[in-house]
Amino acid sequence: MRAMVIAGRELRSFFQMPLGWLLVALCLLGSGFAFTSATLEPGAPATMRAFFSLWWFILALIAPAISMRLMSEEYRAGTIEPLMGAPVGELSVALGKFLGACGFLACCLLPTLVYPAALMVISKPDPGPIFAGYLGVMLAGMLYLAVGLVFSCLTASQTLAFLSTFFLLVGFEIALEAATRRWPDALGALSKHLSANARIADFASGLVDTSHIAYFVIVSAWLVVLSALILRVRRWR
Amino acid sequence: MWRSLGEGRVKGNPCDGRLLGERFGGVEPTLGTDMIEVVRVSKYFGKHRAVDDVSLTVRPGVVTGLLGPNGAGKTTLIRMMTSYLAPSLGTIRVFGHDALEEPSAARACIGSLNESAPLYPEMRVGQYLKYRAGLYGVSRSARAAAIEAALRRCALSDVASKRIGQLSKGYRQRVGLAAATLHDPRVLILDEPSSGLDPSQIRDLRSTIRTLASPSATRPEGRAVLLSSHYLPEVQATCDEIVIMARGRVRAQGTPGDITRSFGRAAPYEVVIETPPGLNEADEAALMQRLRAVLMVNGAAGVTIEPRALGQTRVRCSITPRVVAESDGTSSSVASGAVGLSADGERDLGEAIFKAVSGAGLSLSRLSRREATLEQVFISVVEGSNEHAAAVSQGSAEVAA
Repeated sequence: MRAMVIAGRELRSFFQMPLGWLLVALCLLGSGFAFTSATLEPGAPATMRAFFSLWWFILALIAPAISMRLMSEEYRAGTIEPLMGAPVGELSVALGKFLGACGFLACCLLPTLVYPAALMVISKPDPGPIFAGYLGVMLAGMLYLAVGLVFSCLTASQTLAFLSTFFLLVGFEIALEAATRRWPDALGALSKHLSANARIADFASGLVDTSHIAYFVIVSAWLVVLSALILRVRRWR
Repeated sequence: MWRSLGEGRVKGNPCDGRLLGERFGGVEPTLGTDMIEVVRVSKYFGKHRAVDDVSLTVRPGVVTGLLGPNGAGKTTLIRMMTSYLAPSLGTIRVFGHDALEEPSAARACIGSLNESAPLYPEMRVGQYLKYRAGLYGVSRSARAAAIEAALRRCALSDVASKRIGQLSKGYRQRVGLAAATLHDPRVLILDEPSSGLDPSQIRDLRSTIRTLASPSATRPEGRAVLLSSHYLPEVQATCDEIVIMARGRVRAQGTPGDITRSFGRAAPYEVVIETPPGLNEADEAALMQRLRAVLMVNGAAGVTIEPRALGQTRVRCSITPRVVAESDGTSSSVASGAVGLSADGERDLGEAIFKAVSGAGLSLSRLSRREATLEQVFISVVEGSNEHAAAVSQGSAEVAA
């Protein structure tokens, strides 16, 4: 599967550049702040719910920074030409880029396991919700990366790709939150349905709902297909 | 639609004949002697026509040079051949595979070196070649040997573990060439391969290109090589056949000899005329004016008369045959609509010159003609296409007015 070849190169390239290490550090820093401010409270129960509730914003910052270079850098450096000139379909390119980015996000999340490990040393938290919380963060991250991939396919400017993705993700969550507060009866259910943050909260409480998993996976898959279509349209421009 | 977004069923190298039948629905591609067939291809970017009704073929064992000034449409044509861009009109077939219908199969037959060799600076040379081998479906068992051969062929073994970003321009170009030849393609497309190289590197590159086109154990018929350049000496030194493009169209096509012979009919006549002794300046000017008028009527495009030196009786003239835009494309080496010779120009002007000179009461001391060089042909073709385009645009403006 040539998508895996592309994914492998993409994943390795993050660790061959300062940007990759900077993102790992940023992720560790953000999650460290969330852990110390939201979880390590004297007398608070030994759960990481509050920790995971802040993750949507960390993801909204990290995911666009990961995804911004996926295609934009190829356009800028001209490497898109040898890539698209190889016997690889657009879907394989988009999927490979997406999987590589997901792999890197997983690598960013890995060092943050130090926080639940620390919690386990000082207390006895239930590992189920922690595992489920990480699953939710990873799935939401996949969705955010897929959104970022679409924007990265649209422009050769990494800055533009980052800002578009970041403002869309943050703006969407804030708009949902505001709409729910304004019209709780009419939009409450819809907001819960669309908000990644609300779904992460469910995961963090230990609820691994297949509808949540399906939502993240299906929407991400469609966004990857949309990215492939954008690449196809570029051939016809 | 969804399936067409993926790479289909292409595994390994679909250019290997024995695999073609089973991999492409049992249908063998129609293989002629041409590796690349471009049939009436046009490409529009909005209203701008970057490539205009181009047809050409690239044969195995032959290095074909795609020559043209900047903006002639060479790179756009190459991008369509590699399926990076889709043509607006026309068909491109690579080893029998339609570049639009079976893009992955067509691409698998091609190894391409893009202009300025875009690479990933953070990767190491060996790592990059391994990645490209994976993209082209080179099997794991054959990968190490293929990479080793490509490194040796392009003299890269010493820098295999270096990061691409640390390499000089010449080495990066070689990495691009190594990547292009890694999967042993039948067709090699090289876009401005010598840009940024020093003379010794250019010489090595030419030799490598010739070797790649020549028959080998794995490719007994040789590879088809298409080399795009706007650098004439490079094309002249490397290519067996030349395609000259200007303003998106093919203006001339054939071997360098064919092209210069064909366009040689436009080479100027060098004439030395003996004037009567004691001829005054006014009489001489009148005689020459009459001679010029007669020649212009009889097929000359321009007559340049050098001023006679004091005390000399000889006058030197340069007479250029008429060159006009053809519309019927009857000449085999001159493409349809290209700039070629009119019926007047094709006629030998020697007789007309002789008659005109003797009719003017002068005697012809010498009549000679130099053979056109490829450079003259190139300049004549490019300038001719510019003049033609200007005339067309002026005509359109007048019609609009």
